[in-house]
Amino acid sequence: MSDSKGRKRIRDRRRGPFVFLCLLPAFLFLAIFLYYPIEETFRIAMTKSTGMGPETYVGFDNYIKLFNNEEFLAGLLHVFQWAFFSVIIQLPLAFLIAFALTYYRNKLTGPLRSIYYLSNVLPSAITAMIGRFIYAPKSGVISSLANTLGWKWLGAIDWLGDPNLAFWSVFALATWAYTGFPIIYLMARIEQIPNEIREAAELDGATGWHYASRIVIPDLKYPFQILAVLCTVGSLKLFDLPYILTTGGPGNATVTLGITLYRHGFINWNYGLAAAIGVVISLLSLGFTIAQFSLGREKGGESL
Amino acid sequence: MSQTENKAAVKRGRTAIRVRHGTSEIVTTCLLVLLAAVVIVPLVLPFLFVFKTQLEFSYHPWALPKQVNWNNFIEAWKAVRIDQGLFNTLIVSVGAIVATIPPSALAGYITARYRSKFTELAFYVIMVGYFVPAQMVLIPLYKMEVAIKFNDTLYGLFLPMAAFGIPFWTLIYRSFFKGLPNELAEAARIDGAGHSMTFFRIMLPLANPATVLALLLVFIGAWSDYLLSLVLLSSQEKFTMQLRVASFLSAYGAERMPKYASAAIISAAPTVILYIIGHRWIIKGTIAGAVKE
Repeated sequence: MSDSKGRKRIRDRRRGPFVFLCLLPAFLFLAIFLYYPIEETFRIAMTKSTGMGPETYVGFDNYIKLFNNEEFLAGLLHVFQWAFFSVIIQLPLAFLIAFALTYYRNKLTGPLRSIYYLSNVLPSAITAMIGRFIYAPKSGVISSLANTLGWKWLGAIDWLGDPNLAFWSVFALATWAYTGFPIIYLMARIEQIPNEIREAAELDGATGWHYASRIVIPDLKYPFQILAVLCTVGSLKLFDLPYILTTGGPGNATVTLGITLYRHGFINWNYGLAAAIGVVISLLSLGFTIAQFSLGREKGGESL
Repeated sequence: MSQTENKAAVKRGRTAIRVRHGTSEIVTTCLLVLLAAVVIVPLVLPFLFVFKTQLEFSYHPWALPKQVNWNNFIEAWKAVRIDQGLFNTLIVSVGAIVATIPPSALAGYITARYRSKFTELAFYVIMVGYFVPAQMVLIPLYKMEVAIKFNDTLYGLFLPMAAFGIPFWTLIYRSFFKGLPNELAEAARIDGAGHSMTFFRIMLPLANPATVLALLLVFIGAWSDYLLSLVLLSSQEKFTMQLRVASFLSAYGAERMPKYASAAIISAAPTVILYIIGHRWIIKGTIAGAVKE
């Protein structure tokens, strides 16, 4: 860039130390709390370690154990199930809302954008609390409303206690809490489409639906890919909501990889196994992130 | 009166087009408002229950409360020591801000305006942290904190929090500083300002929008943290609000809805209020941040 060339002319002896001193704090933080622990994770994952007593080297034993571990496999399955349904339910929903909000501009659609994102900024413990509040048997919102209306069958459902329903109850709550993000992101991308294109389409008699399917959706291919990757990486890290709502239960019905890591590491104190789960989580999320990067490059390095 | 209306209509040239989808616009807007209500209602419901006694709630859960009864707030406050929780969470959030923003601003500035092979490499090394999920380092982080006696302290919580945030905020500051015009900094140099003077007096104030965004989002992020606090804090009196809220679930259970509602309201209030104040910046920054290449 031209500015770096320009600055070379004013080179001085203080430049080097200044650069070094400014980068130092960030590096110290990262070295202590991130890079050293990363290296340690790989090492601990190869040991049998309980936090007390010596660690013994066991090679890839922990990884092999994981793939015979029912809880871990359930967690892995739920992560992909969660990612899949986020992509096919939350993203189309988000698109419809985002498109409607940008297609019709009136006094209401402006403030609505901020409202849709509101639930995203709630702390996850509060989101979980609201979930309990809604799903609790008898006193929960659904139950007491159903009982007031006399629909006893609906009031009797235990949304979080039934192993067949628990996953979906948590998922529905997450859809409520987190769809705001794809909405605001897609809106920002739709608003980048020049207005003239829409006006030209409307002069040609295109309806809103035509405009959406022929012009807007093809234009959003890359944002959709990014959102799909973000959904997947998000599912890999999923912990707070299912843990506070159900601690992964009943049985393993709502277990995620994050929950298996926490259970093995901090409840069973099996550091080796937990570290191996940590490695699996990061390798998977790294894989998906690399996929995102290469997809982005395919389109000529386009980015927001 | 109608004349001014017409003028306004003429000004907004696109009105002519909009008239065509009159009914569909009304129907869609109604649907959108309905969906927004779905987002809002779960947040408002606690207020319907919170002023009721347990008995009143059992018999008339959906009626308006007969009188405003603050007992639930007082009892919830005592049961989980909300004062202590708010204090701890405030320390963690402010600590996270102080530990995250200055290192990120400095690193962002250097990697944006002092381009060389070395700073470019430094930038990539920092960005490695951006792709590491917190889950990956939980076990060694906990072990290390125990070894250096950082576990179960508030600084032992906000320092690693800052480390997780620094790569992201370095990226934001970097792209912000990259976008600033060069003339001001050069003028300052010519006037004899040193490197640090140029940064603190000229460049940093220009980055105020990025700093406001960082203040808001780092605060909200630290205030909302659950997993790190759960792992790193172990004694009750150190618990943050989020840990207390989660433990409130086991203390009262959802049957005690009115008390429960009061705890939810108190602990959600700070982030919701900050969001209402700063929603424009928050939305803009979130979009920019999530999809930086």
